[in-house]
Amino acid sequence: MINMIKAELYRMTKTKGFYLFWGVMLISYLITIIYKQEGGISLGAPIVTDNSLKMDVRMVSWNFTYYYLFIIPVFTTVCSEFSNHTYKNTISSAISRKTYYFSKYFFILVYTLLSFSLLNFAFYAANRLVNGSEYSSSLGRFAKSVAVQLPVMAAIISLFIFIAFAVKKGAVFNSVTIISPILYTTLGLVLYGIKDTKAFAEKMLTCEISTIIMRVAKETSGSFTAKCMAGSALVIILSALFGYVIFTKREID
Amino acid sequence: MNEIILSTKQLTKQYGSFTALNEADFSVCRGDICGLIGRNGAGKTTLMKLVTGLTEPTSGSYQLFGKDSTNSFLKRRIGCLIENPAFFGSMTAFQNLKFYCLQKGITDMKKIDEVLELVSLTDARNKKFKTFSLGMKQRLGIAFAMLDDPDIVILDEPINGLDPIGIAELRDTFRTLNRERGMTFIISSHILSELYAVADHFVFIEKGRLIKSVTKQELDLECSRCIVVKCGDVKHASTVIDSLGITNYKVIDKSELRIYEEGVSAKELNKQLVTNGVEVEGLTESGVSLEDYFKQLVSENN
Repeated sequence: MINMIKAELYRMTKTKGFYLFWGVMLISYLITIIYKQEGGISLGAPIVTDNSLKMDVRMVSWNFTYYYLFIIPVFTTVCSEFSNHTYKNTISSAISRKTYYFSKYFFILVYTLLSFSLLNFAFYAANRLVNGSEYSSSLGRFAKSVAVQLPVMAAIISLFIFIAFAVKKGAVFNSVTIISPILYTTLGLVLYGIKDTKAFAEKMLTCEISTIIMRVAKETSGSFTAKCMAGSALVIILSALFGYVIFTKREID
Repeated sequence: MNEIILSTKQLTKQYGSFTALNEADFSVCRGDICGLIGRNGAGKTTLMKLVTGLTEPTSGSYQLFGKDSTNSFLKRRIGCLIENPAFFGSMTAFQNLKFYCLQKGITDMKKIDEVLELVSLTDARNKKFKTFSLGMKQRLGIAFAMLDDPDIVILDEPINGLDPIGIAELRDTFRTLNRERGMTFIISSHILSELYAVADHFVFIEKGRLIKSVTKQELDLECSRCIVVKCGDVKHASTVIDSLGITNYKVIDKSELRIYEEGVSAKELNKQLVTNGVEVEGLTESGVSLEDYFKQLVSENN
């Protein structure tokens, strides 16, 4: 498994996606630090700015930009293997399907979560250095916001890995992952406008991914955060299991 | 006796109601170059996919190096190229092979240049795979199969897309590796003449069934020029043939025997057989090409 991870890391550095991932986030943080204004990619849900929080924590609540960036490592690690049919080289002369699946799974999970943490803390340090305490919270407060987002991020990645192993084709994977949250939000907002479905839509929008990411970063504890943690754990377990079953039981073409 | 490196027992693979491989029994010994011959869709690739773990058998089993499972330790001893060579298009030949070196835990990166030289791809070392011609892709696939100094190399249609010089070079490479490193090869092809030039053991497959397994000597014997004698009493005929001092002949069945000895006149033989009371039903001079031999085998099994 260690060899697989080394190989994946080597290959990842040879892809454009690797530089895109780091480039987009670093530029986004740079703009935030220079203009002292948080921001990122919206998934369609209404954004409510909470001015009681300092700029760095408000930026953490915008971390759903990562939702789109997490597509890149999953795409390059899993989908490109299927589109190039290179997975056959590995399975036929290096490792079993089981090891192949779990190596990919752990590599993506560890790589993305480490990158997520590293980028967030790099932003904190740079922001603290440039803008001072007026725009930055204590390290403890900031770390708490990032830490509670980790299980949610892990659930998103795990779900992405499952989708990649299930659909195999890069184009389908991209379509499903990019469009799903937008469709979900659009549906929620449409239902919100209808009197009879307003209450249902409110619940629906509470479970919307950018809302979850934003709320856990702000609240960091309480029943909502606990529910999110439990939900994330469930998603991680189920998606990892289903992904494994689908990949190992299906015929390789 | 040579060590059996691969053996299958009643190996069967079904895709729904279609049987791609039906109760295949065969074995390959260390140092063999085994040629799998069959038409498109005969089951060659399925057999290769099964023994490399790319697909699971519906029933039956196989042993690699005398062991039942294909764990990663055993897999490291196999090099293979199944179907089309597959690599990452945006990476160079060297980068692609380095990826697999890291994956297999090969620390000596000189190995990459060694295998690239083996398949005459040194000049294309830093070219992206997507710019490769079909022949170059095929050669990179073979380089990948050789990367870890495997004990057994399984190659599915390796000469597809290669030019005549490339084919000849590859043939020499296989022979050299087999002779110098004792590498075992299983090579599939439907180009019989090419397979004949390199293999020393042939397995014929048709409609998922292994219809015949012969050594090169046996194949030569069956395809070489001979006199086919058809008669009612083969035992009597063979006594007469012995008395004529002919030793190189083979009894095919109870009504046919074949004489391979050089310089035997069909006319004189017929005369001697008849004179000695053998009821000769037919006497013909024969000699079949590999293609005809294969066609004959296929028609017998249809």
